[in-house]
Amino acid sequence: MTKTAGGVEVEGTVIECLRNATFKVELQNGHTVLAHISGKIRKNYIKILPYDRVLVELSPYDLTRGRIRYRYRS
Amino acid sequence: MNFVHSTSGTGNNAVAVTRVSDMQWHAMEDDRTVARGDASRRPDGRLFVSIDAWHSAVFDRMANAMLADLPTPLYTVVDEADTDSRSAWERVGFAAARREWGYVVPTDPQVTGLGSVRPPSGVTIVPAGDADEGPLRALDRIIRDEVEAAVGWQTMPAEVLPRPAGTTVIDPSKYAVARHLDQYVGLVRVAPLTRQPRIGLIAVRADRHRRGIARSLLAHALGSLYGSGAAAAWAEVDESNAAATALFEGIGARRAAGTLELVRR
Repeated sequence: MTKTAGGVEVEGTVIECLRNATFKVELQNGHTVLAHISGKIRKNYIKILPYDRVLVELSPYDLTRGRIRYRYRS
Repeated sequence: MNFVHSTSGTGNNAVAVTRVSDMQWHAMEDDRTVARGDASRRPDGRLFVSIDAWHSAVFDRMANAMLADLPTPLYTVVDEADTDSRSAWERVGFAAARREWGYVVPTDPQVTGLGSVRPPSGVTIVPAGDADEGPLRALDRIIRDEVEAAVGWQTMPAEVLPRPAGTTVIDPSKYAVARHLDQYVGLVRVAPLTRQPRIGLIAVRADRHRRGIARSLLAHALGSLYGSGAAAAWAEVDESNAAATALFEGIGARRAAGTLELVRR
């Protein structure tokens, strides 16, 4: 887990792609969050699929929600 | 560059938007970054922007700061299903310009019905890795000029846009081509990603359309993927491209995602 100026960033694994442009991501600590893709990832047409390892920035307002900021190369 | 753009209360605290570099903006609240804005130029020269914010008020403030700094037209992309993002961009003056469908394409010939497809008379398919680079690049140039003179490359998925200095064929080994006599007349590019292979481009010279060449190229590409163990591939198609849509939907491809390109002029 990393604390940045923007909030808490945690590595996780995408376990499900949901219909409304969100993803269920299991974090390293076992918790599951709902995350959407960052605008920068979408702008660059980076595709997120189940089993992808990703970096999630947790919402400072709701720790069950987050934003996928990076997809690690498998 | 470090211009403080604006400060304003969006909730309990003030938020300041700062341009931290040529193409990056941050919104800060109590020394914490609560939104990020980013701009980047596509190889075709168009300027695309993105904003990540947790609150709509902060999004609007960030957008207004970026829009004041950047020339128009500006572009962005949102997921078709992400209605919140779409309305946020529409609120600041963006409007839908075009739509791209993402397809999951089966590779099994029993499903696609492509198992019995053979190239039209006189046409042979040269497998990926075997195409001669010179004629391949020449064909790519011809096809791109034809598209540019017709619908334009801006209607194409970002995946097929030219790179800087006009480079378009990055890795010739990813292309299978259709050859008629001694001339290349069509091509298909497949990125053999382990996660999900991607059909990046399939195109045929305008004077060879409607002869089943694209279908043959697709049959070859999907057959090769099936042989290598991939059950499905991914492809993006512009909504207005009726021929490509019919080609993919005709072989059982399933529409799995939509990307909306928005523009502010």
